[in-house]
Amino acid sequence: MSGKDELVGIRTAALGKVQAAESSAQLDEIDTQYLGRKGELTLQLRRIGSLSQDERKDFGQSVNDIKAELSEAIAQRRQALDAGESKAKLAAEAVDVTLPGRFYQTGRPHILIETIEKIKRIFIGLGYEFVETPEIEDYKYNFEALNYPPEHPAMDEQMSFYINDDVLLRTHTTAYQHRVMPYRKPPMRVATIGKTYRYENVDATHGHTFHQVDCFAIDHDISLTDLKGTIQQFAVEMFGMDVNVRFRPDFFPFVEPGAEFAVTCFLCKGEGCGVCKGSGWLELGGAGLIHPNILEKAGIDSEEYTGFAFGFGIERMPMLEHGIKDLRLFMENDLRFLRQL
Amino acid sequence: MKVSIDWLREYIDFDCSLDTLADGLTMAGLEVEEVIKLSKEDFTRAGGSGTIDDIVFDSKVTPNRGDWLSMIGVAREAGPVVGGRVKMPNVKLDGSEPTSSDLIKIRIDDPDLCGRYVGIVVRNVEIKESPGWLKDRVIAAGMRPINNVVDITNFVMLELGQPLHAFDYNLLNDAQIVVRRAKPGETITSIDGNERRLEPDMLVIADSNRPVAIAGVMGGEDSEISRQTQDILIESANFNSVSIRRTSKRLGLVTESSYRFERGVDPSIAPLAAMRAAQLIHDLASGDVAKGIVDARPVPVEPLEIKVRPERVNLVLGTSITAENMARFLNSIDIETHLEDGILISQVPTFRPDITREIDMAEEVGRVYGYDKLDTTLPDVTLQGKDSPEGLFRNKIRRSLMACGAQEVLTHSMVEVKLAEIAGNANKAVSIRNPLSEELNSMRTMLAPNLLQVVARNQAYGTVNVSVFETGKVYFQGGSGRPDETLSVAGAMVGDLWRSNWSLPAEALQVDFFTCKGAVESLLGALNISGANYIPVEHPMLHPTRAAKVLVGDREIGILGEVVPAVSDALDVRGRAYIYELDFRALMELAPEMVIYQEPARYPALYRHMAVVVADDVKYAQLVELVIRSGKGLVEAVDMLDVYKGEQVGAGRRSLTLSVVFRSREKTLTDDEVNAVLGEIKEALAQKAGASFR
Repeated sequence: MSGKDELVGIRTAALGKVQAAESSAQLDEIDTQYLGRKGELTLQLRRIGSLSQDERKDFGQSVNDIKAELSEAIAQRRQALDAGESKAKLAAEAVDVTLPGRFYQTGRPHILIETIEKIKRIFIGLGYEFVETPEIEDYKYNFEALNYPPEHPAMDEQMSFYINDDVLLRTHTTAYQHRVMPYRKPPMRVATIGKTYRYENVDATHGHTFHQVDCFAIDHDISLTDLKGTIQQFAVEMFGMDVNVRFRPDFFPFVEPGAEFAVTCFLCKGEGCGVCKGSGWLELGGAGLIHPNILEKAGIDSEEYTGFAFGFGIERMPMLEHGIKDLRLFMENDLRFLRQL
Repeated sequence: MKVSIDWLREYIDFDCSLDTLADGLTMAGLEVEEVIKLSKEDFTRAGGSGTIDDIVFDSKVTPNRGDWLSMIGVAREAGPVVGGRVKMPNVKLDGSEPTSSDLIKIRIDDPDLCGRYVGIVVRNVEIKESPGWLKDRVIAAGMRPINNVVDITNFVMLELGQPLHAFDYNLLNDAQIVVRRAKPGETITSIDGNERRLEPDMLVIADSNRPVAIAGVMGGEDSEISRQTQDILIESANFNSVSIRRTSKRLGLVTESSYRFERGVDPSIAPLAAMRAAQLIHDLASGDVAKGIVDARPVPVEPLEIKVRPERVNLVLGTSITAENMARFLNSIDIETHLEDGILISQVPTFRPDITREIDMAEEVGRVYGYDKLDTTLPDVTLQGKDSPEGLFRNKIRRSLMACGAQEVLTHSMVEVKLAEIAGNANKAVSIRNPLSEELNSMRTMLAPNLLQVVARNQAYGTVNVSVFETGKVYFQGGSGRPDETLSVAGAMVGDLWRSNWSLPAEALQVDFFTCKGAVESLLGALNISGANYIPVEHPMLHPTRAAKVLVGDREIGILGEVVPAVSDALDVRGRAYIYELDFRALMELAPEMVIYQEPARYPALYRHMAVVVADDVKYAQLVELVIRSGKGLVEAVDMLDVYKGEQVGAGRRSLTLSVVFRSREKTLTDDEVNAVLGEIKEALAQKAGASFR
């Protein structure tokens, strides 16, 4: 058998083996068997010395061609095998995607504090500066400085918890007014928000503790329409829709004229529903122009400046928004309740 | 105030719908809270005639408007709503001799508490049941018919707002009335049958030797009208609001009379009311009315004149109402007003003591004009709003703790004093003098006990994994007697870190001391507060050997640890619970306002693990400090990998496997350099901490 014929036989056998190989390891073997340092094709090259000058070039060329062809075939086969192998490997790694995830227990904000933060953001946007104020308050700030005449029946609506004769738990956030007003110069817009207390028996809609926000503005020419507009602006931001504000005369010793304010019911958009008792209005809080007696007590010229003040309870808003029927849920802190909101 | 519509029609004509009337009154400030229908049967059941039905407006009278506690007051307010004017009742009295002043002597000793006292004597009355129409009025107003004379006094009070009292004239000693403060030790049995001890600042109506009524609050049993009564004295007086309120509160006795006096009764109405009652007694109890009245009036009250600038009214209301219209509005509610040189001159009637200055008049103009007609505008000047520093910082804390998986909660500040005892603060707690109940008699001194109550409640509801936090106020007795309040941050945790733990070993998920400490460390990290030290501490709420105080520098900022079983038991907490509580203000002061960016290291780090065997009392923190101190500035961090106790390290010793991170900011470190430093570190640990190495 001539050298050429032998080469053809090696080629055929090698390519056949490559096609038949079932694993990367088998390919490695084929690679070694034919192309390795002692591989069959490598050995063929060593025979070159026994050939004539003419034959040498031709034979060498043939061996190298076959080597290249075989390398290429091995590489191609290897690629094909790898793809199949990794597919099989991935297939063996299957998970049940319907098993529950490793749940990250994240904390949520308390719904009342979330509401407080939202209210704050709106009033900050309207130019109000929030200040921290005491809950344990002097009688004089809670009542006298707010123009309550001594022994006035208006205090019946503000039954308090007393620490001693002169100190009580504030019955409204309005108590901070005289802590701030005398120490600032108009124009000013100030607000506070926090816990307030009333001597009231607890039921689904009454608590001894609740939260209030209280804002006031003092400037030249502040009027009742400015107050109405400010409350409307707040309500639009808070409830995310066009709302109207209704004022109704009411009495609070610290404002004159005084008003109770209501906004368009955001549930029925003023059509009348169960929540607003068919009226289309939600009563929110008290408002009015700051009584000149209070401005004067704070050293502010009540001819030159006027101001308005208003306040309202916080709990009612999330109650309405989320259909919460019982006020006590807020402070009971049942996680099954808190984690929903 | 219950306003009978049938009755109201006697004082004002109207043909508008009742809805319009109710809305109009509500928008004038007299809120109609409920419209009650009374059927003939309702009247019959209450002892009335059963011949009429009626509609009643249950309306809410604000405390400044005592005048609305009468039918004429409501009719007056309805005037601008319905376009009419109030009609006062017609009183015609033809008395006979002897005159009232012949029959009764009235003396006011304390004019500061009684500005006016009007008396009329009516003789030979026949006490009997009232006629049906009178009973119906009393019933519609929510009161109970008694007899003709009592019903008449109530009727006139409801009609005119003047509380009246009728004495049995013949039971008054020496036919004398003395209005004076009670004498020390005096008592009276009021008509409800209770003996009451009077105090020297309470005003009484006395005869020549004893009190016969608690002025403006309730009459005395001794001089009460009875079936045997023949002659009566009608009292129509004006008492000081504050005094009546004090007496009423002190005696715990609120009556229709005291309620009205507290809110102010028109001093000008006293004679009319007395005569109105006398006339009705004449008509319905066939009494002989004595001629004339006795009117003791030491303090005459005149209408107040107020000058009002129309432009000022428009400025505060934000309106442009003409001066003429303002005058018209005011006149429509009986505030007599005329214009003079562009100024409104108003005579404020004595039934409106709430009006004292121009701003009050602006409100009156606004009310009649209609608050619903006001525009909406916004104040001009733009001011920059902002949150308080505390508010901003609180949100940083909240974000960090929520990210640690804790649910935010909000608990009550009024708590049981037991919680202060548990916190070891019993002597510092602020007590409520008049608590709603014993469970609410004290202000909280720590948040953690409240949070443990939240834990217990949730466990009772079947929620076993609980991690909660709160930021809020705590309260302490202050040095000056004025309590202090300050902000606090606290958390409590129990059970597992996560739910749905099927793929992780259960013990890895259970919260423990280090979970709790981790929350505090994460919080301090989020606030950029570094250098905290944790020192064992004794605390009444905490496990004696699993408790630490947190120090930053020299400053103690809080505590953390496992809750001691006695406290868990007292608060019904099941299992091992963990708490931390930190001083909000201290955190705020320690947190840097500004953080300067540090460039991350450019060169690679090398890691070395070493198992350090030391005596049990050598603390991890000491080892870390030694590693860093002897690390030639190349130790970037030390991490804890494992703690081992057992035979291999011997009794009284433990092995801590540390991972030390070496890095230079100047160059890439070689193995040789790091090994050399590590050798020095080990040397230092061996010498200074008695360490050996595994």
